[in-house]
Amino acid sequence: MRESLIIRIHYATALAAVALVAVHVLIRVTQGFAESLEYESVVANYRFLPYAGLLEIILILLSVHGFNGLRVILLELRQGRRYERAVTLACVAAAVAVIAYGSRTIILMNMGAV
Amino acid sequence: MAREEDNRGGIRDMASPRRYGIERVAYWMMRLSGLGLLAYFVGHIYETSSILRGRAGWDELLAMTQTTEGHALLAVVIGMCVFHTANGIRLMLVQGGIWSGRPGRADYPYTPRSQNARNKIAIYSSIVLAAVAMVYGLTVMFGE
Repeated sequence: MRESLIIRIHYATALAAVALVAVHVLIRVTQGFAESLEYESVVANYRFLPYAGLLEIILILLSVHGFNGLRVILLELRQGRRYERAVTLACVAAAVAVIAYGSRTIILMNMGAV
Repeated sequence: MAREEDNRGGIRDMASPRRYGIERVAYWMMRLSGLGLLAYFVGHIYETSSILRGRAGWDELLAMTQTTEGHALLAVVIGMCVFHTANGIRLMLVQGGIWSGRPGRADYPYTPRSQNARNKIAIYSSIVLAAVAMVYGLTVMFGE
Protein backbone atom coordinates (compact mmCIF):
# COMPACT_ATOMS: atom_id res chain seq x y z
CA MET A 1 0.00 0.00 0.00
CA ARG A 2 1.29 3.48 -0.83
CA GLU A 3 2.44 5.62 2.10
CA SER A 4 0.26 8.51 0.84
CA LEU A 5 -2.81 6.30 1.24
CA ILE A 6 -1.64 5.02 4.64
CA ILE A 7 -1.24 8.58 5.98
CA ARG A 8 -4.75 9.42 4.76
CA ILE A 9 -6.09 6.38 6.58
CA HIS A 10 -4.06 7.49 9.64
CA TYR A 11 -5.69 10.94 9.58
CA ALA A 12 -9.20 9.62 8.84
CA THR A 13 -9.03 7.11 11.72
CA ALA A 14 -7.75 9.89 14.01
CA LEU A 15 -10.61 12.28 13.21
CA ALA A 16 -13.26 9.57 13.45
CA ALA A 17 -11.80 8.27 16.71
CA VAL A 18 -11.78 11.77 18.26
CA ALA A 19 -15.53 12.12 17.61
CA LEU A 20 -16.45 8.62 18.81
CA VAL A 21 -14.16 8.60 21.86
CA ALA A 22 -15.71 11.95 22.84
CA VAL A 23 -19.14 10.23 22.83
CA HIS A 24 -17.71 7.31 24.86
CA VAL A 25 -16.19 9.68 27.47
CA LEU A 26 -19.30 11.92 27.58
CA ILE A 27 -21.46 8.88 28.42
CA ARG A 28 -19.10 8.10 31.36
CA VAL A 29 -19.19 11.69 32.61
CA THR A 30 -22.94 12.33 32.17
CA GLN A 31 -23.85 9.06 33.95
CA GLY A 32 -21.56 10.01 36.82
CA PHE A 33 -18.05 8.60 36.61
CA ALA A 34 -18.30 6.13 39.53
CA GLU A 35 -21.90 5.05 38.75
CA SER A 36 -21.11 4.44 35.08
CA LEU A 37 -18.41 1.96 36.11
CA GLU A 38 -20.72 -0.14 38.28
CA TYR A 39 -21.17 -3.72 37.10
CA GLU A 40 -24.87 -3.39 36.14
CA SER A 41 -24.23 -0.18 34.22
CA VAL A 42 -21.31 -1.65 32.24
CA VAL A 43 -23.26 -4.82 31.41
CA ALA A 44 -26.24 -2.70 30.26
CA ASN A 45 -23.87 -0.68 28.04
CA TYR A 46 -22.56 -3.83 26.36
CA ARG A 47 -26.08 -5.26 25.87
CA PHE A 48 -27.24 -2.04 24.16
CA LEU A 49 -26.42 -2.82 20.52
CA PRO A 50 -25.72 0.75 19.27
CA TYR A 51 -23.27 1.30 22.13
CA ALA A 52 -21.62 -2.09 21.56
CA GLY A 53 -21.30 -1.10 17.89
CA LEU A 54 -19.74 2.21 18.91
CA LEU A 55 -17.18 0.36 21.06
CA GLU A 56 -16.36 -2.02 18.19
CA ILE A 57 -15.80 0.88 15.76
CA ILE A 58 -13.61 2.71 18.31
CA LEU A 59 -11.64 -0.52 18.83
CA ILE A 60 -10.94 -0.86 15.10
CA LEU A 61 -10.17 2.85 14.56
CA LEU A 62 -7.76 3.12 17.49
CA SER A 63 -6.05 -0.19 16.71
CA VAL A 64 -5.39 0.87 13.12
CA HIS A 65 -4.31 4.40 14.12
CA GLY A 66 -2.25 3.32 17.13
CA PHE A 67 -0.29 0.51 15.52
CA ASN A 68 0.28 2.52 12.34
CA GLY A 69 1.64 5.31 14.55
CA LEU A 70 3.96 2.80 16.23
CA ARG A 71 5.06 1.60 12.76
CA VAL A 72 5.86 5.17 11.70
CA ILE A 73 7.92 5.79 14.86
CA LEU A 74 9.85 2.54 14.37
CA LEU A 75 10.49 3.37 10.69
CA GLU A 76 11.86 6.78 11.70
CA LEU A 77 14.46 5.09 13.86
CA ARG A 78 15.80 2.71 11.27
CA GLN A 79 15.27 1.88 7.61
CA GLY A 80 15.90 -1.12 5.40
CA ARG A 81 13.79 -3.40 3.26
CA ARG A 82 13.72 -6.36 5.66
CA TYR A 83 13.38 -4.19 8.77
CA GLU A 84 10.49 -2.18 7.30
CA ARG A 85 8.70 -5.34 6.19
CA ALA A 86 9.16 -6.96 9.61
CA VAL A 87 7.90 -3.85 11.44
CA THR A 88 4.87 -3.55 9.16
CA LEU A 89 3.96 -7.23 9.55
CA ALA A 90 4.42 -7.11 13.34
CA CYS A 91 2.23 -3.98 13.64
CA VAL A 92 -0.51 -5.45 11.44
CA ALA A 93 -0.41 -8.69 13.49
CA ALA A 94 -0.58 -6.74 16.77
CA ALA A 95 -3.53 -4.64 15.53
CA VAL A 96 -5.40 -7.76 14.39
CA ALA A 97 -4.71 -9.47 17.75
CA VAL A 98 -5.99 -6.47 19.76
CA ILE A 99 -9.10 -6.15 17.55
CA ALA A 100 -9.80 -9.88 17.93
CA TYR A 101 -9.33 -9.82 21.71
CA GLY A 102 -11.46 -6.68 22.18
CA SER A 103 -14.17 -7.93 19.81
CA ARG A 104 -14.39 -11.15 21.81
CA THR A 105 -15.32 -9.15 24.94
CA ILE A 106 -17.85 -6.95 23.09
CA ILE A 107 -19.52 -9.86 21.23
CA LEU A 108 -19.73 -12.19 24.24
CA MET A 109 -21.11 -9.43 26.48
CA ASN A 110 -23.60 -8.29 23.84
CA MET A 111 -24.83 -11.86 23.41
CA GLY A 112 -25.35 -12.16 27.15
CA ALA A 113 -22.55 -14.64 27.88
CA VAL A 114 -22.27 -13.19 31.41
CA MET B 1 28.92 3.09 5.62
CA ALA B 2 30.79 3.94 8.82
CA ARG B 3 29.82 7.59 8.38
CA GLU B 4 26.15 6.62 8.08
CA GLU B 5 26.47 4.67 11.33
CA ASP B 6 28.01 7.72 13.04
CA ASN B 7 25.23 9.97 11.87
CA ARG B 8 22.53 7.69 13.13
CA GLY B 9 21.51 9.17 16.47
CA GLY B 10 18.63 6.81 17.13
CA ILE B 11 16.22 7.43 20.00
CA ARG B 12 18.62 9.86 21.76
CA ASP B 13 18.65 12.31 18.83
CA MET B 14 14.99 11.80 18.08
CA ALA B 15 14.06 12.72 21.65
CA SER B 16 16.49 15.61 22.10
CA PRO B 17 14.53 18.83 22.74
CA ARG B 18 17.68 21.00 22.71
CA ARG B 19 18.54 23.52 19.99
CA TYR B 20 15.37 23.04 17.95
CA GLY B 21 12.80 24.99 19.97
CA ILE B 22 9.21 24.19 20.85
CA GLU B 23 8.68 22.36 17.53
CA ARG B 24 11.11 19.64 18.60
CA VAL B 25 9.44 19.46 22.02
CA ALA B 26 6.09 19.02 20.24
CA TYR B 27 7.69 16.37 18.01
CA TRP B 28 8.77 14.13 20.87
CA MET B 29 5.71 14.89 23.00
CA MET B 30 3.56 13.74 20.06
CA ARG B 31 5.47 10.47 19.89
CA LEU B 32 5.64 9.90 23.65
CA SER B 33 1.93 10.65 24.07
CA GLY B 34 1.16 8.34 21.14
CA LEU B 35 3.14 5.49 22.65
CA GLY B 36 1.61 6.14 26.07
CA LEU B 37 -1.90 6.16 24.64
CA LEU B 38 -1.25 2.95 22.69
CA ALA B 39 0.00 1.26 25.89
CA TYR B 40 -3.08 2.52 27.76
CA PHE B 41 -5.39 1.39 24.94
CA VAL B 42 -3.99 -2.16 24.95
CA GLY B 43 -4.17 -2.21 28.76
CA HIS B 44 -7.75 -0.89 28.64
CA ILE B 45 -8.81 -3.65 26.22
CA TYR B 46 -7.24 -6.22 28.55
CA GLU B 47 -8.70 -4.77 31.77
CA THR B 48 -12.25 -4.44 30.40
CA SER B 49 -12.18 -8.11 29.38
CA SER B 50 -12.27 -8.91 33.12
CA ILE B 51 -16.03 -8.31 32.95
CA LEU B 52 -16.28 -11.73 31.28
CA ARG B 53 -15.37 -13.19 34.71
CA GLY B 54 -18.62 -11.75 36.09
CA ARG B 55 -19.23 -9.34 38.96
CA ALA B 56 -16.33 -10.68 41.03
CA GLY B 57 -13.84 -10.13 38.22
CA TRP B 58 -15.15 -6.63 37.48
CA ASP B 59 -15.20 -5.55 41.14
CA GLU B 60 -11.66 -6.88 41.56
CA LEU B 61 -10.55 -4.72 38.62
CA LEU B 62 -12.36 -1.64 39.93
CA ALA B 63 -10.73 -2.06 43.33
CA MET B 64 -7.38 -2.01 41.57
CA THR B 65 -8.06 1.00 39.29
CA GLN B 66 -10.30 3.21 41.46
CA THR B 67 -7.43 4.31 43.66
CA THR B 68 -5.48 7.56 43.98
CA GLU B 69 -2.72 6.10 41.80
CA GLY B 70 -5.28 4.85 39.27
CA HIS B 71 -6.92 8.28 39.05
CA ALA B 72 -3.53 10.00 38.72
CA LEU B 73 -2.61 7.64 35.88
CA LEU B 74 -5.95 8.32 34.17
CA ALA B 75 -5.34 12.08 34.50
CA VAL B 76 -1.99 11.64 32.70
CA VAL B 77 -3.80 9.64 29.99
CA ILE B 78 -6.37 12.46 29.63
CA GLY B 79 -3.53 14.99 29.26
CA MET B 80 -1.74 12.84 26.66
CA CYS B 81 -5.00 12.31 24.77
CA VAL B 82 -5.86 16.03 24.59
CA PHE B 83 -2.33 17.07 23.60
CA HIS B 84 -2.09 14.30 20.98
CA THR B 85 -5.46 15.32 19.51
CA ALA B 86 -4.84 19.08 19.44
CA ASN B 87 -1.28 18.79 18.12
CA GLY B 88 -2.40 16.12 15.64
CA ILE B 89 -5.01 18.47 14.19
CA ARG B 90 -2.29 21.17 13.90
CA LEU B 91 -0.06 18.71 12.01
CA MET B 92 -2.89 17.75 9.66
CA LEU B 93 -3.51 21.44 8.88
CA VAL B 94 0.20 22.13 8.31
CA GLN B 95 0.60 19.10 6.06
CA GLY B 96 -2.47 20.25 4.14
CA GLY B 97 -0.75 23.59 3.49
CA ILE B 98 -2.72 25.55 6.10
CA TRP B 99 -0.63 27.54 8.64
CA SER B 100 2.56 26.55 6.81
CA GLY B 101 3.26 30.11 5.62
CA ARG B 102 3.65 31.64 2.16
CA PRO B 103 6.63 30.47 0.10
CA GLY B 104 9.33 33.12 -0.18
CA ARG B 105 12.96 33.75 -1.09
CA ALA B 106 15.41 32.21 1.34
CA ASP B 107 17.18 35.15 2.99
CA TYR B 108 19.47 35.23 5.98
CA PRO B 109 18.86 34.11 8.76
CA TYR B 110 16.86 31.48 6.82
CA THR B 111 13.95 31.21 9.23
CA PRO B 112 11.69 28.40 8.03
CA ARG B 113 8.34 29.85 6.99
CA SER B 114 6.51 26.83 8.35
CA GLN B 115 7.86 27.42 11.87
CA ASN B 116 5.82 30.57 12.35
CA ALA B 117 4.06 32.20 15.30
CA ARG B 118 0.73 30.52 14.53
CA ASN B 119 2.31 27.09 14.87
CA LYS B 120 4.08 28.01 18.08
CA ILE B 121 0.84 29.39 19.55
CA ALA B 122 -0.97 26.21 18.51
CA ILE B 123 1.66 24.04 20.25
CA TYR B 124 1.52 26.10 23.46
CA SER B 125 -2.30 26.03 23.28
CA SER B 126 -2.23 22.23 22.99
CA ILE B 127 -0.11 22.03 26.14
CA VAL B 128 -2.42 24.42 28.03
CA LEU B 129 -5.52 22.52 26.84
CA ALA B 130 -3.98 19.25 28.01
CA ALA B 131 -3.26 20.75 31.44
CA VAL B 132 -6.83 22.11 31.74
CA ALA B 133 -8.28 18.71 30.73
CA MET B 134 -6.10 16.98 33.33
CA VAL B 135 -7.36 19.30 36.07
CA TYR B 136 -10.97 18.78 34.92
CA GLY B 137 -10.45 15.01 34.87
CA LEU B 138 -9.00 15.04 38.37
CA THR B 139 -11.96 17.15 39.56
CA VAL B 140 -14.43 14.62 38.12
CA MET B 141 -12.57 11.58 39.46
CA PHE B 142 -11.82 12.89 42.95
CA GLY B 143 -15.05 14.87 43.20
CA GLU B 144 -17.12 11.71 43.66
